[in-house]
Amino acid sequence: MERDSHQEGEAQVVKNCDPPSDCVPTAETLATSLSLLGNHMFPDPVEKNDSTSVDKEEHATLHQSKVTQKEQHLDAESHSNQVNKLEAEETENSEYQNNESTKSVDRDAEDAGTDNDQSESGEFVVAMLAKAKLEEQGIGVKGRSSLLLEAGTQEPAAFMSHRDEDVTADSWRQHRKHVFVLSEAGKPIYSRYGSEEALSSTMGVMMALVSFVQSGDNIIRSVYSEGHTVVFLQKGPLVLVCVSSSRQSEQQLREELLYVYYQIISMLTQASISRIFEHKKNYDLRRLLAGSEKILDGLLNLVDSDPSFLLAAVHCLPLASSLRDSISQILQKAITPNLVFSILIAKNQLLTIVQEKTVIEDTRLEPTDIHLLLNLIGASSAFQAGEIWTPICLPLFNPDCYFYAYISYLDPPECTVCLLLLSTDKEAFYAVAECKRKIEEAMVAQNSLSLIAKAQSYSVSQVGVSDLRHFMYKPFDVPDNYRQLTQFTSPEMEAPYSSEEEKMRLLDLYRYMHSRIHSTSRPLKLIYQVAERETLLAWVTSKFELYTCFSPLVTKACAITAITKLLRWIKKEEDRLFIRYPPKYSTTTNPSKSSRGGKSDQQDSTDNGFLSLL
Amino acid sequence: MLMISPRMASGVQEKQYTPSLLSFFVYNPTFGPQEGEEEKKILFYHPSDVEKNEKIRNVGLCEAIVQFTRTFCPTRPAKSLHTQKNRQFFFEPENNFWTVMVVRNPMIEKPSKDGKPPTTEYQEEEVLDTVYSAVLKECYSMYKLFNGTFGRAMEAGGVELLTQKLEKFFYRYLQTLHLQSCDLLDVFGGISFFPLDKMTYLKIQSFVNRVEESLSLIKYTAFLYNDQLIWSGLEQDDMRILYKYLTTSLFPRHSEPELAGRDSPLRPEVAGNLLHYGRFLTGPANLKDPEAKFRFPKIFVSAEGGYEELHLIVYKAMSAAACFMISASVELTREFCEQLDGLVGPQLTLLASDICEQFTINRRISGPEKEPQFKFIYFNHMNLAEKSTIHMRKTASVCLTSVHPDLMKILGDINCDFARVDEDEEIIVKAMTDYWVVGKKSDQRELYVILNQKNANLIEVNEEVKRLCATQFNNIFFLD
Repeated sequence: MERDSHQEGEAQVVKNCDPPSDCVPTAETLATSLSLLGNHMFPDPVEKNDSTSVDKEEHATLHQSKVTQKEQHLDAESHSNQVNKLEAEETENSEYQNNESTKSVDRDAEDAGTDNDQSESGEFVVAMLAKAKLEEQGIGVKGRSSLLLEAGTQEPAAFMSHRDEDVTADSWRQHRKHVFVLSEAGKPIYSRYGSEEALSSTMGVMMALVSFVQSGDNIIRSVYSEGHTVVFLQKGPLVLVCVSSSRQSEQQLREELLYVYYQIISMLTQASISRIFEHKKNYDLRRLLAGSEKILDGLLNLVDSDPSFLLAAVHCLPLASSLRDSISQILQKAITPNLVFSILIAKNQLLTIVQEKTVIEDTRLEPTDIHLLLNLIGASSAFQAGEIWTPICLPLFNPDCYFYAYISYLDPPECTVCLLLLSTDKEAFYAVAECKRKIEEAMVAQNSLSLIAKAQSYSVSQVGVSDLRHFMYKPFDVPDNYRQLTQFTSPEMEAPYSSEEEKMRLLDLYRYMHSRIHSTSRPLKLIYQVAERETLLAWVTSKFELYTCFSPLVTKACAITAITKLLRWIKKEEDRLFIRYPPKYSTTTNPSKSSRGGKSDQQDSTDNGFLSLL
Repeated sequence: MLMISPRMASGVQEKQYTPSLLSFFVYNPTFGPQEGEEEKKILFYHPSDVEKNEKIRNVGLCEAIVQFTRTFCPTRPAKSLHTQKNRQFFFEPENNFWTVMVVRNPMIEKPSKDGKPPTTEYQEEEVLDTVYSAVLKECYSMYKLFNGTFGRAMEAGGVELLTQKLEKFFYRYLQTLHLQSCDLLDVFGGISFFPLDKMTYLKIQSFVNRVEESLSLIKYTAFLYNDQLIWSGLEQDDMRILYKYLTTSLFPRHSEPELAGRDSPLRPEVAGNLLHYGRFLTGPANLKDPEAKFRFPKIFVSAEGGYEELHLIVYKAMSAAACFMISASVELTREFCEQLDGLVGPQLTLLASDICEQFTINRRISGPEKEPQFKFIYFNHMNLAEKSTIHMRKTASVCLTSVHPDLMKILGDINCDFARVDEDEEIIVKAMTDYWVVGKKSDQRELYVILNQKNANLIEVNEEVKRLCATQFNNIFFLD
């Protein structure tokens, strides 16, 4: 308890000595700094500009660093502690839960006008602190402590190298894509490469540019130089900036920044971020995101290497439909009240997803939310031991509230099959863990794990078209009465796209085709491009969108024949390539709303639009 | 430029505004290094009635943007800034001298009901960076053609002279910019060549040689017919900007008298000289006028180790125009002009009618004009040769294109795509309107075709373009 009151006191101190009003550089002062910029060498003036608030800032930092130290200390402890089996400590755990609930603020009350700093930081951090406190008191650790802190401290070597980069070095400049997140007060929150401290003046300039343009009743979008595209995105109190030397379109880079924003939301919720900055514009959000850099790093690496983000669609693991159905049925049976999503992930791909009936009635899970979940799991090896119970927000589903995620691998120590159960009930840990046990038992009984282990991605050679090297196919017509998750299918990248560079090059070509065909002002129906190293065809119809890569010498007639064959092959294989009929369950006491849910065997024999459009 | 949109579905009228020039300025960040002296950096600012602090703020933003991008690449700073309402283009033609052009995005004004102020929707993706960056560069090139470099003015008379020259030149020049009609052709900044048979070409060459021999003062000569170039002794880049000046500014200003009837009072005095139709487009309007001044515009072209200043004499007979360039150190007299008129006038008149005859014959051979199934733009980076069947007439004030502006922008997009890699490429796209657009890049040549057959498929489109290359381009490749 001592620590807790200390924390609260901390918040008060910080607050009192640092009233928001005089620490936020207004557009006007930044404007002066802009004209100063010309006179002095960059970036001194910005620092100079900041200096007005430095004194107060230092106070805050002093206090803050105490907290951080303490947290680190706690964290170290949690590492040294052997992770115990959860079941063994029911008594302590209930105490922990009580602790948590007493301290937590009502997340559902949106108008929570409390002055308590903890309420601003949101449920999530409350949970973190509660756990940390328990650890301090020597109470056994349940599963693991806060997954985010964990994520940050795992594999410190790799983690440090990016953060410690010399931001004046050429190697820093030469990164393909920089991403910065800052608050409206110009405070650094995240930088992909180099430490936020070292980049604080650069980020100060970014904020100065944003507010300067804003002061002219205008909005800054982007800056182009010969080698770089700089894209700005303002979302609520956060400003996100991307500096890219890839040739991606501004639109695509902005989408990627949006993913970063959503990932932050998934950890803190939009409502709590707004609340925090409403109360204190100068707040250092890194205090709440400490340790989560790795999740954002992981996201950005995925965004660069995984076309799912580009296509805004989910790539699911190809699997015989009978096997997928039987596994779905297992998930379908293992339910508890307030369980809303049961998701099974294998080899970092979606295997199946079962949804609560009333949920699926109203909304569907957006691919973005799935991507964020997949990244969260992939970014941290912390999940590989024990069971995790953590609040998580699905920003597209509802940016302002938390779900409670139960995460556990089913096949330790390989850790390729991960179960993710989402509940709306914060207290449901035991009930949900019980579901997992049921699922595990049933899967052992059916030998599912070894069958899943055999499943793999496919080779383009299975299509049987000689000139076809690779493709991405995203249908729009997966039975539409099911409000299905948007999916796409794509074979492994094989020679000549086996090296990392070549993979990236092909992805860049796809990105370029995608940006042109989906241009906001001048969209196209079809692009056929013949270049020296390959021939590409991108095609968007009302039924699907398709990107194909052929050898450079293919003729147009051959390419068209190949596409006809490819579409036929996909049609034949679609039960294996896609999750066709998303199963549902009912965990609410009043299932009356689920009238529309009945599974229909209606096969879609609609013509794919091929003849009419090409 | 304001256009009233024909869309009136809801009964309310939408106003559509095309892109327009918001401001244009030239600054040098090293000229006002002290705080409070920022105004000294600004060498030229259009519109001039902008309040001083506003000017300083806007220049400050440009400096900040440029400095900011240097964080990521010190040698290649920002070229453009995109905002919701406008685009700013930066160009540093000479060390520390920056030219900036701010273009307002096109917008649609929608009147709202209940007497509220109309809502404005900016179309942020309509302005192509490549096009307007090229326009900005051309502004500088045009200044340099008539004034030499900024550095030259600085050497000759310091900041004061430079600001005077900038003021004098850009005040008029900016009024001639018509940003709404800029397109891919501005990116190329090419020269349209007049297709000609060998005999006629040799006649012109020998004409140029004879004139240069007789009038040894002449340093360079250029020969044009129908606003198209046939012969030039200048460096390519100089000819490119001179060509732009001639075809978009000088010739259009002088075309009216020729179009007027023989007895029209507009027609200049051919005064007793019935031997030829030659006349000066620069310099004296009438040689017989005792008050006539023999002053010609001066231009600056590149020469070994810098630039040279030249008198520009443009002399025209019917559709043929000859440009003679003479070192500015020589003073041009009435005698010289009379001599030139006497020598060039009759020959040029004869040559013009020869070319005209050839041209008509060639046209007859190529068959009756029928509406072709395609329109195209061709550009060759090696000789700057450009040909467009999309543009009916292109002058400074009017640019009539026969295709939808969106298709023109797709051509611009494809051109950007070609610039990404230094490889031969072919791109075929089908627009939402079902038009097919084909771009081909081979070696240094680029060809863009818009096909009218909406129902064609990819293979038919391919055949059509093959046919086009086989027929149309035998002529053009001949000129290379």
